[in-house]
Amino acid sequence: MFKKILVANRGEIALRVIRACQELGIKTVAIHSEADTHSWHVRAADEHVCVGPPEDALSYRNIPNVLSAAEITGAEAIHPGYGFLSENAHFAEVCESIGVKFIGPTSENIALMGDKAKAREVVARRGLPVLPGSPGELRNESDALEAARKVGFPVILKASAGGGGRGMRVVNKEDEVARAFQAAQAEAKSTFGHEGVYLERYFLEPRHIEVQVLADDRGRVVCLGERDCSIQRRYQKLVEETPSPAVNEALRREIGRVALDAIKAVHYRNAGTVEFLLDKDQNFYFMEVNARIQVEHPITEMVTGIDLIKEQIRIAAGLPLAFRQQDIRITGHSFECRINAECPEKFTPCPGLVTHYRPPGGFGVRVDSAMESHSQVVPHYDSLIAKLITHGQNREEAMARMRRALDEFVIEGIKTTLPLHRRIFSDAEFQKGRVSTSFLERLLTNQSN
Amino acid sequence: MSKPRVRPRPRKEGGRLTALPSTLPGPSSERTVLNDASGEQLAPIQELIDLLKRNNLTELEVERGGFRVRLRHETGARPAVAASAADVIPAAPHTRVESATISLPAETAGKVTITSPIVGTFYRSPSPDADPYVEEGDPMKKGQVLCIVEAMKLMNEIESEVDGRVVKILAESTKPVEYGQPLFLVDPTPTS
Repeated sequence: MFKKILVANRGEIALRVIRACQELGIKTVAIHSEADTHSWHVRAADEHVCVGPPEDALSYRNIPNVLSAAEITGAEAIHPGYGFLSENAHFAEVCESIGVKFIGPTSENIALMGDKAKAREVVARRGLPVLPGSPGELRNESDALEAARKVGFPVILKASAGGGGRGMRVVNKEDEVARAFQAAQAEAKSTFGHEGVYLERYFLEPRHIEVQVLADDRGRVVCLGERDCSIQRRYQKLVEETPSPAVNEALRREIGRVALDAIKAVHYRNAGTVEFLLDKDQNFYFMEVNARIQVEHPITEMVTGIDLIKEQIRIAAGLPLAFRQQDIRITGHSFECRINAECPEKFTPCPGLVTHYRPPGGFGVRVDSAMESHSQVVPHYDSLIAKLITHGQNREEAMARMRRALDEFVIEGIKTTLPLHRRIFSDAEFQKGRVSTSFLERLLTNQSN
Repeated sequence: MSKPRVRPRPRKEGGRLTALPSTLPGPSSERTVLNDASGEQLAPIQELIDLLKRNNLTELEVERGGFRVRLRHETGARPAVAASAADVIPAAPHTRVESATISLPAETAGKVTITSPIVGTFYRSPSPDADPYVEEGDPMKKGQVLCIVEAMKLMNEIESEVDGRVVKILAESTKPVEYGQPLFLVDPTPTS
């Protein structure tokens, strides 16, 4: 096992990894930018190194400085968290080459999963259900038009190198294809530095279902159930739950089997998430694999009792998984609310000084956050400031607990999405579990009427 | 491994002042003072700002009754640094880092601090048995190599951006340094 791990991230996920290390008896090194000198994750770690100015490209994503920080502190492994360097194949490769263990998938895994069009192709070749779409990247507009005709409208254009909902365009009719193709290509180029786009069938009101998997060095794979992430705004998840109210036992087994098959097809290592779209007729289609620990991983931990970060560390240290598929038991129900420092109506970021912070507590409530009273939400990074997670014996209890916890949560000084979460959890359709990815938009439209 | 040195910028606790200036408003006027933009009402806060600056603090928090004010003075804003250690191939033994970052900490008026532009290991000399690049008291010229910060097997020579004299060497040779850590205190006034 490692003696010292460098955590190449900030905020709640850095603290989350540091806590797991503390429980495993592993020393930790925090890195930080000049904007985060006073942050909790810096104080929580055994050592800390400033790696650059506030801009993340010059600090948290500054590969030479991050690796030098590992070197001068003698850290044997780096946990990248999510975002920043977590899905940077080059970084993972450099870590491997200088003998620092990257806690995550292999650089080959990251490179393949980062090329969404190619990953889709590999999975399709295995005979697994993928969204009907272009076989690979589209070369030109006529390619796009031909593929769109074959797939049937509406279609969605996506950037191969994309993610997080950026670089996507929905096309409803034939005469929109050319313009949308050019725009998607330009956006892909400017956002991700690679202009490749591909095309998929666009489903109205689908559910976003993803499956958590773990894979060790010996090729043993385990599926830890699904998460329903249908409550989104512009492809940004806001509320997640597990198990999904739309997935029955038979479907769960089937999606789990396909997810594991996809993971084996690409020789995946460590923790990963296989994303699917689920249509109204219970058909599901592979979308992509997220080659990192995800923001919403805690809800899976709540219902399985498995600490995913510790498992990531153990797998990276070369240890075999300590459990098999038949050992996995899903107990109860869990929700997560992502509390962002944003205006709840317009979703514009709202950095500033948090004058008062009082998280909720009690049975079945978990808060993953690096926020404190009198701390600054700095404008340089992601607006996520807290993840509120509840667990209950069933969906009703977990939901009632979330309503109670949301009411208890006090964050003063800045605007947050707390009021929106209260609204979502008091919505009748949401309570019945009848939601799709367009739920939130509808809720917000009703509000303004 | 020892804990790497942290920049001597005072942390939250360190910068706190408990003394209460007599001009501090009482609880009754707290909203007015904080929200009203009229110069007259803000005078006490202006005095706190002066107090902060005068004592070279980065942070000041004062509490009286139900009224609390917290001021922070960011000395951050540093020029962007071109670190040429972007590649990881341990081939070229010595690479020049174009500019050492310069900032003006308040406690050394008239002097400049040269800080580390990268994370690495600080060396005062080009090799263990060689003489140091500079000693305290030495005159120095713009573009002169002052030290090496080794990062990922790459020796990055840190050059001075100013003419002047080395007043104090702030980092210890062979010890790790972080981004922004002060390395040299320099008197930029031309010496005859």
